Amino acid sequence: MGFQLFKTSKNFLLDFYLFIFVFGLIFFSLTSYASENENSWEVILNKSSGDTVFFHAWGGDKNINSYIKWASDEIKKKYNISVKHVKVSDTSNVVARILSEKNARKNTNGAVDLVWINGENFSMMKNNGLLLNQNWIFKIPNSKFLDFENNPNLLNDFGVDTEGMEMPWGLSQLTFYFDSSYIKIPPRSSIELKDYILSNKGRFTFPQPPDFVGTSFLKQVLIELISDKNLLQSNYEKAKHQIALQPLWDWLDEVTPYLWRNGKSYPSNYLALTELVADREIDIGMAFNISHASNAILANRLPKTVRSYIHEKGTLANTHFLTIPYNSSNIEAAKIFINFLISPIAQLRKQDKNFWGDPSVLSMDKLNNQWKNKFNQIPRGVATLSNEDLKMKLQEPHPSWVKVIEEEWIRRYGSKN
Amino acid sequence: MYSYLNKFLLVLLIAIIVTPIFFGILGFLLPSFGYFPILGKYEFSLNYFVISSNIPGVSKSIFLSFFTGFVSTLLALILSQVIILNTFETKLYKLIKKIIAPLLAMPHVTMAIGLVFIFTPSGLFFRIFSPWLTGFERPPNFFIIPDDYGFFLILGLVLKEIPFFILVSISAIEQFSAKKIFNVGKSLQHSVFSVWCFLLFPLIYRRIRLIVFIVIAFTASVVDMSLLLAPSTPSTLAIQILQKYQASETNSLFIASNLALIQLLVIIILILFWVLIEKIVSHKLFFTIFVNCLTFKNNLIKNLTFIIVSILFFLSLLVLISSFLWSLAGDWYFPNFLPKTLDIQNLVEFFNENKKIIFSSIVISLIVSLLACLFVILWVELTDGLKKKRQYIEWFIFLPLFIPQISFLIGIQSFLIPLNFSDFLVPLIFVELLYVIPYCFIILVPSLREISKDFLKVAASLGKNKFEILIFIKIPMIMPTFLLSIAIGMLVSFALYTPVYFIGAGRVTTLTVEALNLALSGSKQDLGVATFFQVIIPIIILLIVGWYNNNFLKWKF
Repeated sequence: MGFQLFKTSKNFLLDFYLFIFVFGLIFFSLTSYASENENSWEVILNKSSGDTVFFHAWGGDKNINSYIKWASDEIKKKYNISVKHVKVSDTSNVVARILSEKNARKNTNGAVDLVWINGENFSMMKNNGLLLNQNWIFKIPNSKFLDFENNPNLLNDFGVDTEGMEMPWGLSQLTFYFDSSYIKIPPRSSIELKDYILSNKGRFTFPQPPDFVGTSFLKQVLIELISDKNLLQSNYEKAKHQIALQPLWDWLDEVTPYLWRNGKSYPSNYLALTELVADREIDIGMAFNISHASNAILANRLPKTVRSYIHEKGTLANTHFLTIPYNSSNIEAAKIFINFLISPIAQLRKQDKNFWGDPSVLSMDKLNNQWKNKFNQIPRGVATLSNEDLKMKLQEPHPSWVKVIEEEWIRRYGSKN
Repeated sequence: MYSYLNKFLLVLLIAIIVTPIFFGILGFLLPSFGYFPILGKYEFSLNYFVISSNIPGVSKSIFLSFFTGFVSTLLALILSQVIILNTFETKLYKLIKKIIAPLLAMPHVTMAIGLVFIFTPSGLFFRIFSPWLTGFERPPNFFIIPDDYGFFLILGLVLKEIPFFILVSISAIEQFSAKKIFNVGKSLQHSVFSVWCFLLFPLIYRRIRLIVFIVIAFTASVVDMSLLLAPSTPSTLAIQILQKYQASETNSLFIASNLALIQLLVIIILILFWVLIEKIVSHKLFFTIFVNCLTFKNNLIKNLTFIIVSILFFLSLLVLISSFLWSLAGDWYFPNFLPKTLDIQNLVEFFNENKKIIFSSIVISLIVSLLACLFVILWVELTDGLKKKRQYIEWFIFLPLFIPQISFLIGIQSFLIPLNFSDFLVPLIFVELLYVIPYCFIILVPSLREISKDFLKVAASLGKNKFEILIFIKIPMIMPTFLLSIAIGMLVSFALYTPVYFIGAGRVTTLTVEALNLALSGSKQDLGVATFFQVIIPIIILLIVGWYNNNFLKWKF
């Protein structure tokens, strides 16, 4: 037994040493990994002082521009990082730029450090390998305030899995608005809208596709009219799906001659639409921001009697994101800025109607009581719908449909005059 | 004596212009056939011509570019001559000479924005008459701007090109004894109109022919004005190119390049067409018909054209006024003729937010303009000894203006990206230089070459070398023109849109690009504010130069 014991103990000793060794290795590597992670954020912070981030973001809205300016000033104060807002008129230009850089093998030091993006453009970047490594967003400290588990929309962009390659920044929903002093009951479905347009010649229009909001409006009509909504979640195949689009073209064939300027000219985007509503050239406006009408009223751009509404069966809703191109010249500083943009303080200001009015992506359950209260106390604008009213949300079609809709619209209605 | 150093420097100057042009052309010529090794494409085919011709509405776009380019150049040329002939040798002529520069200073974008302010159904024009006359409580659903055939684009271009034609015509007139010819013609009992048509215009035209071609090339490919004034379903060829270039598809650069080549062809055909018309007009038969028509309708034509010209001038003024009004407006909805509330908060806010852009716009334009003037002076010094050859090599200076901006810039861009420039300012200044040099050249060269050789001989005999003569004698003698040319150079640079858009790539931006951004997407108030700064800065620059020149002249005499 003793012998046995001795033998065992020898083995035991060996096993023990082995165990200690392996355990130590794991423990050490874990701790070092953890501390490296802890450190690396600090290292990033220190290293990035004095750096410049070129943030390519749509620049047509004064409120949003001012908000980005505020965030840039804050990050400059805190970390001495300069953020330059490159005001883009169409995000696809940015993707085109990065793509041409990749084609020319300019794999570092690209012109774009950070992009505001979603949907088609993200899918384009993903398909062409223009994004940073997977799952980087989870390493951003403030991502702990986002509830990725219970909120699948934060990791899903127009039906495309984000694979953690873009950080949610805000939530959007297609919202219509009208002047309540002239119109009592707005049309609340595509069918009602058609009747409205036919009986009010020249008083409705939408931004010219491929403008983002214009295309979204077409998608909205399609979703309401299509017989099988599930088709829209799969990849578009011409042979199989061409017929599915027919209800949209029929609708447009009827409606187009009765649009503003007889459908021969279209406003360039949703802000131009706002101007038209303000001057009463048209009756109904639309935006992909639930607070747009309230903001415009505050800024004297719309009369105070304007109110918002959505369609009975809901409207398109999606998340908009921030992402870093693979050849960004300043990945670390871009991450620091993203971390700030999803911090409670920045998200609170973003949701405030006095600044932007874009809903926060943070989960209330993950915030402490102090922040929770602050978020709950943000007043809503006079023309902003309640969460209850905005409950009906429609899912975005797969990006492959978007291009078909745009191209076909241009062929049928955008090039015939 | 023509030294080797001179020759070397001259070749260097030519290279500065020709090298980027060579690469600019190559940069869209090769991809338009699908061949571009830098992007890893080696196939060589006519495939992209097929793709281009299948773009929806492309034939209408080509027609629009051709039509608007031709009509606007023709109208602007005719109207500019009408203005000069109706005012020649009067007080008004002197006035025009003075105010022409500020009119030139207005960027194309500003003019386009102003026309939109005035002529949309909710614009100023309808507000004047609504609702008391028209009964419109809300804007009518009229199809006015942009119209189907680009008439508003033509109007905008004509308004912008008339001052330019007047400026170059005046400087042409000063190159020969126009006054003598004018008086001789009149003393022979010819009407002012026929004296102009048959005696003076041929002499002027010969001198501005190059400019006419430049205007053709510009108007047929203009980007910024088309974005606002041209129809959009479909738009002009230039806009089709821009849209293709912006589309995020792998082969969109190749399609855009192909369209850029087509744009160049359109302009070449347009110029050939113009030359054909020149031939017809200068034919004897045309002359006799023209003279017979003229004899009795003379006064009618004169009055009619004068009315048109007054309207155009009034419009330009209205464009400025309405832009200023919008910049100060609080809420201003249809059909209010004037804003309900006025405040300068918009102006102050814009200035605070865009201080850096305003500053960089001014600095960039100053650098570009100074370099351009330096270039021109060097050029004149170096070509001094050349007589006949000079005329041929001077074509190089104007070459950049003949190639459609958008084609050239797409070409340049496809080389710039692989070159891995991390700096956007230097390429931008370099490219802007190509567009500014010709204008400085037009203004500076006549007076530089008119300096009497006697002064220079005296200076040389006193032992001054060429450099000293240039600095202490030539430049001081032409100081007013020199300053004017710096100012005009700045204005040209200040108003450039397409080069900044492409080469600046959003990293270097100027007020003109910002203004167009706002025009396409912002509120009218913001737009008014941007326009305000866009106009006020050139005017300030011109006022400074004017004031300095006045003082300088007083001191001189």
